[in-house]
Amino acid sequence: MAMTLTSELPAAPVVAPDVTLASLSEQVSGRVLMDRAPLWWWAGFGFSFTLFTLLVIQMAWLFVNGIGVWGVEIPVAWGLAIAEYVWWIALASGGTIVSALFFLTRSPWRSATNRIAESMLLSAAPCAGLMPIMHLGRPGLFYWLFPYSTVMGVWPQARSPLWWDFICLICYILMSIMYYYTGILPDLATVRDLARSRFKQIFYGVLALGWRGSSEQWRNQRTVYAIMSAIMAPMVISVHSVVGLDFAGGLTPGWHDTQFPPYFFFGAVISGTAVIIMLTIVVRWGYGLQDVLTAYHFNAMAKIMLVGSVMLAYAYVWEAFGPIYGSDVAQKTEFFQRAFGFTAPAFWSEKILTVVIPQLLWLPAVRRSRTLLFLISGGIIVGMWQERFVFTTSSLEHNYMPSYWGRYYPTFWDWACLAGTIGLFLTLFFLFLRFAPIVSIAEMREVIEEERSK
Amino acid sequence: MKTLFGIIATFDTPDAVKNAAAYLRQAGFRTLEAYAPYPVEGLGEIIHPGPKPLLPLLMFAGAVFGAGWGYWIQYWDEALNYPLNVGGRPYNSWPSFIVSAFEFMLLVTIASGFFGLLAISRLPRLYHPIFEAKVFERASRDRFLICVEATDPRFDAASIRAAFEQLGAERIEEVRS
Repeated sequence: MAMTLTSELPAAPVVAPDVTLASLSEQVSGRVLMDRAPLWWWAGFGFSFTLFTLLVIQMAWLFVNGIGVWGVEIPVAWGLAIAEYVWWIALASGGTIVSALFFLTRSPWRSATNRIAESMLLSAAPCAGLMPIMHLGRPGLFYWLFPYSTVMGVWPQARSPLWWDFICLICYILMSIMYYYTGILPDLATVRDLARSRFKQIFYGVLALGWRGSSEQWRNQRTVYAIMSAIMAPMVISVHSVVGLDFAGGLTPGWHDTQFPPYFFFGAVISGTAVIIMLTIVVRWGYGLQDVLTAYHFNAMAKIMLVGSVMLAYAYVWEAFGPIYGSDVAQKTEFFQRAFGFTAPAFWSEKILTVVIPQLLWLPAVRRSRTLLFLISGGIIVGMWQERFVFTTSSLEHNYMPSYWGRYYPTFWDWACLAGTIGLFLTLFFLFLRFAPIVSIAEMREVIEEERSK
Repeated sequence: MKTLFGIIATFDTPDAVKNAAAYLRQAGFRTLEAYAPYPVEGLGEIIHPGPKPLLPLLMFAGAVFGAGWGYWIQYWDEALNYPLNVGGRPYNSWPSFIVSAFEFMLLVTIASGFFGLLAISRLPRLYHPIFEAKVFERASRDRFLICVEATDPRFDAASIRAAFEQLGAERIEEVRS
């Protein structure tokens, strides 16, 4: 893959030739060690934090008044909160895929983007985790899901995909933190050694745990990191497949289909890559990392996104083929209602945004234009949100009994929840941007040495 | 008077430091360590020949334990402690228990790798005598360092200095702590 990419874009090396080991370390650490954050950071952080306060207000209102403040009702008891849970966990999963899978393939473009991907997933995973908790009705008792029954006297029902999902999410977040920390440890040591103020020396000194970069430590770190990557890749596939099983395990027409675990996972690949591309464009511009994040990276990630959209197109064909070819009248009715009824505008625009427009990425000129990439990625993220929304609500709107049909209308608080979690996500990401090296310095050094020895 | 910890030299290429490490090992030095800004292929094997640490084995043991633990929790809950009849399924519904057992397996594997890495690298250890070296901060940036520690039975400051000079070291420094 590396060869074909290089021959395709001879003018776009993985890293600009004038970047040296010292200049890279100083450039990336310098962004962390700045005494004053740049104006764009404060603007972005201020905007995100404002949205985040909306989330806090929304949660307070929800917890005081109960689930009724949202549009969820019988029959549509799963609304935006569940759809957005899937949406967020898909974004996070895409981050792990980019980070772990492409470490195993030794793709050189992964070194500069994996930290952005991991920061993104660690920011998105809490948003996903909040959604079901807010949706519980008695959120204070969410810890009843922990398999701690002998002490608490309550027994989670371990045969339910919903419980598997809880276990998956908890394990996923814990594992992602350990994976992130194993990778960032050497970079924190670099920041510690470059820090000049006493406070920052101590702060990053403690975070770096006294990493020395001895040959022994490097050998162990690399061994463990490689095995961790090999575990994280299947891990994330299992996590998102179990999210698909939440639905596939239900008997509702439109959900009850074995294709949904991979269907959900394909969505994770495309939407995760899309959000990484958007964040990479912002980070590159804001932190002036044009030498490290080159056209090479955008070209490679655009191709991943294109592959994701083709896989998704395959899943969409099955989404239609299954009910139409099958003999279940309810499945068929539900599908036609989904595609041509109340949710039709969202259904079709979602297909256009996630499958039709991304086909533009076949053209090298589109992959080279960051404006177009940004717009296409934004469209994909919106389209994926619509997909999760249509998928979750339309099925419940058209259950087996027509007398049991209903409509779902999101309320102001539903939208506040969406805006608020976007605020939480961006707030966390801006904090990562400010306090942790956003490019894997240690891995970039290897890329630089490799480029030099060519 | 601070005690002598060792003598440290900086090199500017990975090949130079590998060369120096091989030379010092051959000259009979045993307590030496190299510090590099990124993992230099083969350097670990030169300085620490012999069997590698058993981290992969530890992680495998973690995987076996995690899978067993994850399954046992569910089996205990659903079949032993509070047998729960859900739609007539067997108490020990193993196909349903596989998913969570798998997640527990991966979690314990990663955790044993993470904590095993810290333990075997003796981290966290916020202070180490090597931090006293003025050149040390370059090791996390762009230089490759080798330190022969004073505990080495063949330690002799003058001859080590001479060897470093001959090997093309950029700077040579005594580390005292």
